Amino acid sequence: MTSSAVVVDKVTKVFNQGRADEVTALSEVALTVGEGEFVSLIGPSGCGKSTLLRLIADLIPPTTGTVTVAGQDAGTARKKQAYGIAFQQAGLFEWRTVLRNVELPLELRGLSRGERKTRAEEMLALVGLADFAGHYPAQLSGGMQQRVAIARALAVQPPLLLMDEPFGALDEMTRERLQSELLAICAKTGTSTVFVTHSISEAVFLSDRVVVMSARPGRITAAIEVDLPARDDTARQSEKYFEYVTSVRQALRGVPAAAPS
Amino acid sequence: MRWLRGVLPPVIVGLAAILAWQVTVTAGRIAPFILPAPSAIWRELVEQRQNVWEAALASGENALIGLIGGAVAGILAAMAASRFTALGEVSLPFAAVLNALPIIALAPILNNMFESTSSIPRRLVAGIIVFFPVFINTLRGLREVNPIHRELMHTYAASGWTFAAKVRLPGSLPYVFTGLRQASSLAVIAAVVAEYFGGLQTGLGSRITSAASFTAYPRAWAFVVGACLLGLTFYLSTLLLERLAMPYKTRLIS
Repeated sequence: MTSSAVVVDKVTKVFNQGRADEVTALSEVALTVGEGEFVSLIGPSGCGKSTLLRLIADLIPPTTGTVTVAGQDAGTARKKQAYGIAFQQAGLFEWRTVLRNVELPLELRGLSRGERKTRAEEMLALVGLADFAGHYPAQLSGGMQQRVAIARALAVQPPLLLMDEPFGALDEMTRERLQSELLAICAKTGTSTVFVTHSISEAVFLSDRVVVMSARPGRITAAIEVDLPARDDTARQSEKYFEYVTSVRQALRGVPAAAPS
Repeated sequence: MRWLRGVLPPVIVGLAAILAWQVTVTAGRIAPFILPAPSAIWRELVEQRQNVWEAALASGENALIGLIGGAVAGILAAMAASRFTALGEVSLPFAAVLNALPIIALAPILNNMFESTSSIPRRLVAGIIVFFPVFINTLRGLREVNPIHRELMHTYAASGWTFAAKVRLPGSLPYVFTGLRQASSLAVIAAVVAEYFGGLQTGLGSRITSAASFTAYPRAWAFVVGACLLGLTFYLSTLLLERLAMPYKTRLIS
């Protein structure tokens, strides 16, 4: 890891600055995501985890501090589509077929029709939806829609994937299956990932590092390295897994973190 | 079978209503100038079918031209109003005034503006009536963009024009068609009623007035039936167009 996928340096974000309803969403936050690393942001509602993700995505500007993505400032990185993004709602375009949804970011990159189709079909195969290319989003289940959204986020083969509670609206079974699929995809593509969640088990299962945040003002209170030998269904039952879950839970409650030995 | 189950109930109710009408009129000895029997109207309709058809074509042409003109104007105006916020704020009260205007009442005035043989006044009345529902609905559709779609397009670094073409316009289609559905029936009503105020005597409206003034009430009613069928044709054609334009909609009316 010679360079970093994301560097957030002393970033403070104040909403409605100078007004009566001024809110400090983030205060002096520093975060570095290594290349190929999977980092989860976890914390109570209002801790600014989504705000931090949106800062990295350059959907909102920081009040002070700098955000660097893939060695460039966040704005430049966004314009170069250096990241793919997925939200809690799939946000598919209902008038486009599944295939054309995945093609959209490629269209905006100016790829030819043939290239777009090939790449989009590859991505759909990756999320296991090759047979649904011609369907419209309304014909798919919530889990399938979310998989299309992930395929769309991966379509430009970005070095970085940003995800804001992408499995938050799904049932537990679908969620666990998608978690495994996501890990497999990230391993295959070598994508770095920043993943916002409020589920401790999800954060531990997915991440190389769980970043714990607290609210008012939003800041990072702990970072727990997760070193599981494998990430499969047996890992979900392993003692080590539960130790990590416990230490993340303690960190969330403000107990000083002690990483499992 | 399911199709039959959907169609059968309204057909049965409709036939029962016509039967009840027939029985009431004949048994109650209601004078034909108050309410003619359906059988009498039907006889006239069969007898006058060529006239009804030609009159419907004449009125239909006016309604169609008004509908297309008013819809195009409404959609273009809505696009301009959504593109320039200031224009949108100014245009809404104007559109509301236009809507509050009893546009049918303009027909006699418009008739005097043009030659008596001109079809332009009727087309104008239909067009003005069509404009408002199309404008309002399209504007609402253009303004309502899913925030996630907005953010996604932002992350794709999409230009304003790309955003309009790929998100705003297709996203507004359901609203445009809501407006068009209302407008399609209104256009026919406007074109027919506008004929009540003189001018060319070719359309359904003028046939209804002349039949009524000759106390040929069943004939007047036959032309009313023609107007009803014309309105239905317009409405169903719009539904069909909607279906073709939005194949991703699973239900037609939602």
